[in-house]
Amino acid sequence: MSAQSYPGRRRTTWVIFIALCVFTFINLTPLIWAVLTSLKDPRDAFTIPPTIIFEPTLKYHIEVWTENDFVFYLMNSLIISAGTVFISVPAGSLAAYALSRIPRRSAGPILSALFTIRMFPHMLLAIPFFVMGTFLNMIDTYPLLILALVAINQPFTIWLMHCFFLEIPRDLDEAAAIDGCSNWQAFRIVILPLARPGMTVAALFSLLLSYNEFLFALILTGTDTKTLPVAIASFGGEDISSWSLSAAGAIGIMLPIVLVMLLLQRHLVRGLTAGAVKG
Amino acid sequence: MAPLTIQQATKSFGGVQVLHGVTIDIDDGEFVVLVGPSGCGKSTLLRLIAGLEDITSGGILIDGKDVSRLHPKDRDIAMVFQSYALYPHMTVAENMGFSLRMRGAKSDEQRRKVGQAAGILDLDALLDRYPRQLSGGQRQRVAMGRAIVRDPKVFLFDEPLSNLDAKLRVQMRSEIRTLHKKLKTTIVYVTHDQIEAMTMADKIVVMRGGHVEQIGSPMTLYDAPANVFVAGFIGSPAMNLLKGRIGADAQSFDLDAGGALQFTSALDARPGQSVILGIRPEDVTLSDNGSPATVKLIEPTGADLHVNLDVAGSDITAVFHERLSLKEGQDVSLELPADCVHLFDAETETRLSA
Repeated sequence: MSAQSYPGRRRTTWVIFIALCVFTFINLTPLIWAVLTSLKDPRDAFTIPPTIIFEPTLKYHIEVWTENDFVFYLMNSLIISAGTVFISVPAGSLAAYALSRIPRRSAGPILSALFTIRMFPHMLLAIPFFVMGTFLNMIDTYPLLILALVAINQPFTIWLMHCFFLEIPRDLDEAAAIDGCSNWQAFRIVILPLARPGMTVAALFSLLLSYNEFLFALILTGTDTKTLPVAIASFGGEDISSWSLSAAGAIGIMLPIVLVMLLLQRHLVRGLTAGAVKG
Repeated sequence: MAPLTIQQATKSFGGVQVLHGVTIDIDDGEFVVLVGPSGCGKSTLLRLIAGLEDITSGGILIDGKDVSRLHPKDRDIAMVFQSYALYPHMTVAENMGFSLRMRGAKSDEQRRKVGQAAGILDLDALLDRYPRQLSGGQRQRVAMGRAIVRDPKVFLFDEPLSNLDAKLRVQMRSEIRTLHKKLKTTIVYVTHDQIEAMTMADKIVVMRGGHVEQIGSPMTLYDAPANVFVAGFIGSPAMNLLKGRIGADAQSFDLDAGGALQFTSALDARPGQSVILGIRPEDVTLSDNGSPATVKLIEPTGADLHVNLDVAGSDITAVFHERLSLKEGQDVSLELPADCVHLFDAETETRLSA
């Protein structure tokens, strides 16, 4: 196979660049539409063809943040997301570490079972969770939704962390044992710091799942613990005049996650690419 | 410093037994090398001593105390791993001081002992670096530093030089030997490289298939191998091993492959006896009227000349220290001194001659 000539390579690079620009634009279109809708008056929002020049208004953004209990729902979402992350990541990491250190023939069936749970339709799990929640009188409480989200999130966290722990040589555990560490100390002092990029990725995925989750939140929460995705859905309804408000709510719900992503972007990239190149 | 005794140690993984009642006595301050081909059980034995694998039966005694059921941290041993196993997120100083930290040593003491070890291993300038910033040789020294900083009763080395290039390996070999002379700590060192074993050990343990084949000083193993396996394993190039029968005059040897070898004097065995005859390449010399041979291949190493010869259909390797002007295909005559010959029973493959 001959190497591509320099002008040929440059042309390929341009084609890829343009294709990626188109792809990015297609992906961002709904977001741009939402931003524009949130800044328009409902009369302008649904004109065909769409109005390009309009008088932007922050009225609906202000309304979202000051009225409609948006901050209350946001707090619920943050409490539930934080609770899910703080249980899911440590529990999943411990399980993944153990699975990475036991013989493959023992770990294999457990990992396969976890994979099966992951493939199980969440809709079918929501009903038993509702029944259990009712039985335990826990409907519309934080712990119920947190535990449900932890349960559906665990397989992914364990699989992800398992891959990270496999990358960490077993010699390090053994060196730590000889140096005077108990199993727990070896995990905490030697292994865990090395798995930090993986834990960051696991935490972010866990956060995204729990923050955006709609089905379980709709079924297991009520007035006290309703989360933002459920609340936003009720902002608009069928009334076209409320769609600008809904769009402003959608932008509002995105902000915390975008902020977290921007802050942890460096760790995220490192975590996602860890182990890709032998170093 | 402490003596180490391994008593009838066995180890099984599921239904597979990898160590079969290994018994070794190691004296206080002795440098013992476990050597053998891959899969012989030498690394498993080292891991049993370290406590990284559970012993199936038998005992391990360090300084007279049975440690076979103790956690590695309670055995007072230190180990240098093949991969070095340095903690990537800790500096050289933190790596070296880690065992002291885990044992609750005060930071002053940690600093002092790390400084001492760094001085011995010439690591003073590298203490603030991370393992990823070090070369292979430097990492190797840090791994040793981590082991010596705690002054353990026994050092365990698991093929520590196998990741280094040839030149560095020779250098580190002498550094480890020098370190042992300085510290006088008992060392158990695993390698598959018989040159490493010969040059470093006070005592070599040759293993095969989970059994100990022979224990002895390097020269004992070289001069009087207990069986065909040890004879073939120790020495480079390997000993020539030929199957055949002692001739009627006891001064010749009839090869099973055909033809015969003539010796300078009578062999120490009865005529007609089936044996495996061994002769080291460096004991083969050229003469005017010995066994006829044809030069097949010449390999000059600089210092020596390795020559592969065909003797009546059998291959014999000879090492000459002189710069001979031999050519491939040339007919020569070999002198085989009978007093340099090793004889092994053809059936049991154990040594016959003294």
